[in-house]
Amino acid sequence: MARSKELLPRESLLWIFAAQFVALLPHFARLPLWIVCAWAFAIYWRLEVYRGRRDLPGRLVKLLAITLAVAGLALSYRRWFALEPMVALLAVSFTLKNLELVSRRDAFLSLLLAYFVAATLFVYEQTIPYAFYGVLCALVITAALAAQSGSFSARPRRALGLSAKLLAQAAPLMLLLFIVMPRLGPLWAVPQDASGARTGVSDSMAPGDFTRLSKSDSPVLRISFDGPVPPPEQRYWRGLVYSHFDGRRWSQGFSVDPRQGAEVEWNSRQQRLPEVGPRYRYQVIQEASNAPWLFAMARPLSDTRGVGETADDRLVKKTPVHSRFAYEVRTWPRETLTDAPVLGDAERRRNLQLPATGNARTRAWAAEQRAAGLGAEEISRRLLNFYNRSFVYTLNPPALGADSVDEFLFHSQQGFCEHFAGSYVFAMRAAGVPARVVAGYQGGEWVEQEAYLLVREYDAHAWAEIWVPGRGWQRVDPTAAVSPERIRDGLQSAAEEEFMQDALLPLHRISVFNQLRLQWDMINYRWYRAVISFDSDRQQNLLRRLLGEVSLARLALFVGAAIAAGLAGALLWLWFISRRTRPPLAIRLYQKFCQRMARAGMVRRPGEAPRDFARRVREEKPQLAEVTERITRAFEKAAYCEDPAAEQQLRRLLRRPLTRYRTRKV
Amino acid sequence: MQKIISAIVADIGKILLGKEHQVKLALACLLSRGHLLIEDLPGMGKTTLAHALARVLGLSYNRVQFTSDMLPADILGVSIFERDSGQFRFHEGPVFCQLLLADEINRSSPKTQSALLEAMEERQVSVDGETRPLPEPFFVIATQNPLHQSGTFALPESQLDRFLMRISLGYPTREAERALFQGVDPRAQLRQLKPRIDIAALRKMQAMVAQVKASESLLDYLERLVQHTRQSPECSVGLSPRGALALLHAARAWALIHGRGHLLPEDIQAVLPSVAGHRLQSEGGDGARLVERLMRQVDIIAA
Repeated sequence: MARSKELLPRESLLWIFAAQFVALLPHFARLPLWIVCAWAFAIYWRLEVYRGRRDLPGRLVKLLAITLAVAGLALSYRRWFALEPMVALLAVSFTLKNLELVSRRDAFLSLLLAYFVAATLFVYEQTIPYAFYGVLCALVITAALAAQSGSFSARPRRALGLSAKLLAQAAPLMLLLFIVMPRLGPLWAVPQDASGARTGVSDSMAPGDFTRLSKSDSPVLRISFDGPVPPPEQRYWRGLVYSHFDGRRWSQGFSVDPRQGAEVEWNSRQQRLPEVGPRYRYQVIQEASNAPWLFAMARPLSDTRGVGETADDRLVKKTPVHSRFAYEVRTWPRETLTDAPVLGDAERRRNLQLPATGNARTRAWAAEQRAAGLGAEEISRRLLNFYNRSFVYTLNPPALGADSVDEFLFHSQQGFCEHFAGSYVFAMRAAGVPARVVAGYQGGEWVEQEAYLLVREYDAHAWAEIWVPGRGWQRVDPTAAVSPERIRDGLQSAAEEEFMQDALLPLHRISVFNQLRLQWDMINYRWYRAVISFDSDRQQNLLRRLLGEVSLARLALFVGAAIAAGLAGALLWLWFISRRTRPPLAIRLYQKFCQRMARAGMVRRPGEAPRDFARRVREEKPQLAEVTERITRAFEKAAYCEDPAAEQQLRRLLRRPLTRYRTRKV
Repeated sequence: MQKIISAIVADIGKILLGKEHQVKLALACLLSRGHLLIEDLPGMGKTTLAHALARVLGLSYNRVQFTSDMLPADILGVSIFERDSGQFRFHEGPVFCQLLLADEINRSSPKTQSALLEAMEERQVSVDGETRPLPEPFFVIATQNPLHQSGTFALPESQLDRFLMRISLGYPTREAERALFQGVDPRAQLRQLKPRIDIAALRKMQAMVAQVKASESLLDYLERLVQHTRQSPECSVGLSPRGALALLHAARAWALIHGRGHLLPEDIQAVLPSVAGHRLQSEGGDGARLVERLMRQVDIIAA
């Protein structure tokens, strides 16, 4: 076979398979199992080919494999233009390429594809561990590329060492490109699978059903403040407003979701908020929630593109938050706003809505209050007193029956924020006070070193807002009436025993561990601020700070200066190395002499001893023989006898050009 | 001192015509307390060289012709029961001398070879559990036939390494050969040779070898040479530290023979083929050509 000469050797194949494995490994969990099996099978076949037990598949087999793969993808995903099927398609083609891995060219193709596959990892995950894994991928794939050049360089240590060296050398270039490379928006939007949504806050709540309260401690928000930090009792991060109650479940109700036509001010610059400075300015970094709602304190305003404000004082994003998202917020606390609030008829109706029947006892209690002619705030106070007297805050309340509010208020009297907020709003509405449930996060952990507020899943909270004529919407937190420490110190300390009863180890009792967890989150936060959220705005800012003004000429100058600095550094390094191994003076002088002789046409051969050279000079250029002899003698004494006088003599001899000696001689 | 050396070289040169370089190498080998391996075809004057050296330097001389049925005891000596005294008495073998000519060492079995080589290394002989020192100085000149001749056991590399130098004499030049034809019988001449120095003087000269100065620049060159043998893809086995040290010692002796108190690169180059030739191995090529390339490639002045 003519091709057999360029067949890939064993080391090449093993390296390619290793690179493929490393690139595909993080995808194994996401890809359908059959792709993993197909990959293993393709490798098995290729190894059999290497052993000579099997031939490379013919055209028919390849066609069959492609058909099967496409059919498998179609069956596994059922839709094409989403991210996961695309990654799967890439993985499958990567896998099938093994069946025609014949020549060196195929190997390079496969390895370049491996870089691409490794990069798709970051579509899903952008955290630090995955970044490290990405570096590992690049290391192994580059090593595999390096190993393609032959048996010697295919040794693992050598290949990996070379690869590490290459990557280290590429790192400055990477940094430079990271800073100056224009951030392009995505060329096309690939819808991401939203089925994996998980959040402590969902678009509805049903307090009676079961305890769905998230005990997860994964971070949700990181909030850094520019200026004053709100006191703990102000830290209510509103995300959703539930206005509709169907007797069991609280939900946003019709016409609230922005996509269903609710009133959202996307261009918030014409807001009717006062010019005088906002009380709080902050930046929120939100983890992926696969939902459009954002979190901010009441009366927020955001200049971040794609963020709008709803009529019920929330922020929403145009598209769901599929990956970490940072937004700037300015908040005017409601009590600082002086304009007279008005509640429209439709709004009033929406916030008084109750199911036609059910929870008769609560309604009766509310009617009683109403008949007594009490104001909204007085009713609220009575209700809160009622809570305070006999209710218990617990994370594991009993399930409630059909009239969930009645049962909670008059029988079980145990529950957590959802129960309190739901029953409170129900009672207030029944008493004729417009009210609504607000869901979001409350509190957060203050990270001192980095000065930001860390909000975790378990900080999810629900509270209420009631309409007080003349003052507008007022926040009421019924949970605070029962368990003030829940609000002050957070859920974890309020219900510590319950909270941690599922945990295998009582790690929460060890302060070092908590400290470490905070440290880790801090590192994550820095990573996000410095790397992930480096978008075109920040890039422009940074470049402006570096260059003064962003123009093509300055950018070119900047890149050029960086490259020049790199080259100068390399040069300096080389000079430093050569300086360290600088030969002694006599040798350097003799080298100078050799250079001059070379210019005169006598080149000393590397292995030629000075005396042999002198002899050759006598034969070939007699006119230079005498000076050569003298220099050689002086050099031998200086270099090998280490005679300082001879060194001086050699220096003196070399001070004059050699030709001068010649003229004197002739 | 210089006169004595010149006289020694001249004396031997009278018998071994046109082989001044080899004679000097042998002398350098002796002065640096090493052993010499002469590899050549039969009849090239190997034995004559050894014998002449022994006579000129005034050393006691023994010659052992190695054969394939030789046993270690044949060289080292044997204890024999004497009926008169009723005791075992050790009869010293031929190894107990100052200059031993081990002729055709590669004809004997490895067992015998190794017995001799051990004696060379330790400068003592252990027989019947008793250790007997060999005379001082102890110098072995071994000769061997080229390996392609039949009936030979090649010396393994580890044992070749025991020899400081390996030289070959080669055919004489035309003039030398003509002079040989016209001259007196070398054997008769050999008998007329008188010792030029005594043992004490020889010891003094050996001590002087160690005092020859090796400058930094020269050691740099030596280091480059050794590194080159270890890194060059041509050499499958580089020079060992022992080999490098042997090179330095031999070069010192060479410098001393030429009346210098310091080493020059030429000294190293002069002894390099005979010191490194049998220690280097290359794939396919022979050591001599490798050494030649090595000398050409490694710069004397700087890296």
